Amino acid sequence: MPTYQLTINSNKVTVEADPDTPLLWILRDHLGLTGTKYSCGVGICGSCTVHYNGNAVRACSFPIANVEEGEILTIEGISEKNSTALRAAWKALDVPQCGYCHSGQIMSATALLAKNPKPSKAEINTAMSGNICRCGTYSRIQRAIELAANNLDG
Amino acid sequence: MKKELDRRTFIKLTGTASGALLVGTHIWSCKDEKLPAEQYEFSPLIKIDSEGWITLIAKNPEIGQGIKTSLPMILAEELGADWNKVKVEQADFDEKYEEQWAGGSFAIILNWDLMRTAAAKARQVLIEVASKRLNKPINELIARNSRIEHPQSGEGIPFAELLQEASKLSAPEEVEFKSVDSYEIIGKKTPQVDMDELLNGKAIFGLDVQVPDMCYATVLKNPVHNGGVGKFDGAAARSVSGVLDVVELNNQEYGGRLIGPNSPNFVNGIAVIANNTWAAFKAAKLLNVKWDNSTSRRENTEQIFQRFHQQLADTTIERSDGNTERAIRNATTTFEAIYELPFLAHVPMEPMNCTVDFRTDHCEVWAPTQNPKALEEGLIRLFKLSPEQITIHLPRIGGAFGRRYYVDYAMDAAILSKKMGRPVKLCWTREEDIKHDWYRPASVHKMVAGLDGEGKVTAWKHVLANASRKTSLGREGNPAGTEIDEYEFPAGFVPNLQLEYGHVLSDVPLGQWRAVGHSATAFSALCFLDELAVLNQADPIAYFLDFLGEPRMVPVVDDYEYDASRLIAVVEKVRDNSNWGSSLPKGWGRGFAASKHSGSFVAEVVTVAVDTNEKIRVVSVDAVVDCGIVVNPSGAAAQVEGGILEGLCAALYGEITIKDGVSEQSNFNDYRWMRMEESPEIKVEFIANELPPRGLGEPPLPPAAPALANAIFAATGRRIRKLPINKPALP
Repeated sequence: MPTYQLTINSNKVTVEADPDTPLLWILRDHLGLTGTKYSCGVGICGSCTVHYNGNAVRACSFPIANVEEGEILTIEGISEKNSTALRAAWKALDVPQCGYCHSGQIMSATALLAKNPKPSKAEINTAMSGNICRCGTYSRIQRAIELAANNLDG
Repeated sequence: MKKELDRRTFIKLTGTASGALLVGTHIWSCKDEKLPAEQYEFSPLIKIDSEGWITLIAKNPEIGQGIKTSLPMILAEELGADWNKVKVEQADFDEKYEEQWAGGSFAIILNWDLMRTAAAKARQVLIEVASKRLNKPINELIARNSRIEHPQSGEGIPFAELLQEASKLSAPEEVEFKSVDSYEIIGKKTPQVDMDELLNGKAIFGLDVQVPDMCYATVLKNPVHNGGVGKFDGAAARSVSGVLDVVELNNQEYGGRLIGPNSPNFVNGIAVIANNTWAAFKAAKLLNVKWDNSTSRRENTEQIFQRFHQQLADTTIERSDGNTERAIRNATTTFEAIYELPFLAHVPMEPMNCTVDFRTDHCEVWAPTQNPKALEEGLIRLFKLSPEQITIHLPRIGGAFGRRYYVDYAMDAAILSKKMGRPVKLCWTREEDIKHDWYRPASVHKMVAGLDGEGKVTAWKHVLANASRKTSLGREGNPAGTEIDEYEFPAGFVPNLQLEYGHVLSDVPLGQWRAVGHSATAFSALCFLDELAVLNQADPIAYFLDFLGEPRMVPVVDDYEYDASRLIAVVEKVRDNSNWGSSLPKGWGRGFAASKHSGSFVAEVVTVAVDTNEKIRVVSVDAVVDCGIVVNPSGAAAQVEGGILEGLCAALYGEITIKDGVSEQSNFNDYRWMRMEESPEIKVEFIANELPPRGLGEPPLPPAAPALANAIFAATGRRIRKLPINKPALP
């Protein structure tokens, strides 16, 4: 079985896995990083969103063999100012209900603010449209992203 | 696992490390240097340590309804705790906690007095000690911020300094609850207690449980509902690297598949066990199976609905007030409409999973379940265990909505762990989750009204035909269970009223979905009332208020009455909040619906915009709720927002269709859920009062779909009598 060298949350790790194993299961089963969630398995719900070289990607549909040199960040590892502001806003507005999708929601929102520090409502909707929330927290997520963007601005 | 509790004892010194424990009315006090603090247990739910930290036990499963926060808030309020020095711990399943389940919007209703009594007893004992210490009369002392205070003198003592003496006292026999107007925690917006862990990926959901030496598993169930096992070739699956075993899951070996939450058997299929989830998923796709489907009816959706329609003519009368047939014959006008509602899936974001460590004589389970009692009963029945041999842990749950009232997936996991002799984490794929759900029953409703010369309803008939969740799997030997309750609205409001039920047998697995039967009956009744308003050229809200009549108690059945004044109040308030009647752009419309569920009253106005391509956009929803005292306004509003969105999503897109016995949907591409850009603005207002708190998980859902359908009519003149409104487009 091949081995892969990865940089995850600034740590270098070596894993042995089948080449088609999605990054999601490397994180969860091989490395015990269970903050990244499984839900649809086909890249359409966003629960497994991580950052790969700063871009939001769906870990469930990202085979380990395609993870070339680059930095992977998961919900356990993000700590820059955007994610701090987003977490504070999430808490202020008591955003999650069951909470299961929110690792992915925060990862998508962090990637959005890195590229667009002051997104309009329409831009928020577009950037977040790949992340399903089954409990119905969408409007709180929208407001939390706006609040975080405002707080970062001020 | 059950622990014997000596009912005579009250406060126990438990220590914070194992071993430091003595039970008795008089407490053996030991100062162990290794212990950071002495911890005293005032009830199974409340522990206070000598450093002032209060540990409150969250006893119910947390499925996203916020119960892990709201029940401890009630304890903290009645105790007089400082919320900032409270730690909340999730309980395992244990009989000492009494009702420990999530369903029917019952948690706050069932636990309101239980929580307050436990906390009030502890508070009263602490006050008793402080009274002696401060030499002040008991009735002049209050508990707040984890202190007993004497407001007149400004003196006070922290709880922590009263513990040792308190532990020598016995529990008070009578309790007096705090007055509502003194509340400082209840009624205050409070973020979830797990918030930080939810935001940094550290919260442990069922699927995140890790146990030493565990392996991973998934299942491939017979896609044909009520099918058997048949023959399979597992060679290709076994050849996948990392695969440990391929195991048949045959429910005939465990008494056959039975129905309902109290009959926790499982669906026939095959399991793959591997040393990681992906290997199991990959191998399951390589299973070569020839299923035995001789036991299945191999139904189609069209057939099922045809049978429902036929059954409308062959029903049982569930309730009859006055003489409805005669009143309809004598009516000036009669009006009739038929509504059709589909099967619905639950699709919680966290798919079905369970971790079990089942070795020889003990079964330890980490179960994302709404119903741990049913899980325990299932293990007892399937494996002949005694309760003492079972431990059930309750991790956080990534959504449930009624699906996790059924424990079939936990039985799968227990069988596999027993077979492997080591811990197994079972994870169903999303596809299995949708194809083997316990669906909201589909139904057909025939509504008939008789009106007098002034348009007033004098007769009302609601005839419902479907396959009942109460006889899911349609075994002929099972008694038919009605899907229309005798207290169904508008029972009590119309002199001549008849509710009828026609039962059809089906193999489709059926169960509880948010708001259960009311999700369908409210749609039919509240759309029908809107149609009657339009027939009479009346404003729908004015017509509804006229229909309710004078503010009064409306007896419906024994121990169940409508307080019409509370329903009227939420309707009037939502009319004002939504600017009902004001002008809207072309193609826009407002729709209204209101109902009572689990003791709470909810009125909603949905505003829609329909473009020239008939594309429907829900612009906004106004909701007014009377659920009595609101424990956590933030969590309560979240339940209303979520319930409304769920009602809207299901009405717009939700549908499971059956072809040749197989559910046709399998993932979020064909079982569509609303995305952020479709999500409307939802404004929620609670009626402030001091009435006991009532249910909130379900009550906001039933009015949402009829309010949406009524809004679409207002916008377009098109009546929605069949859900879903939009067939989901395949990507």
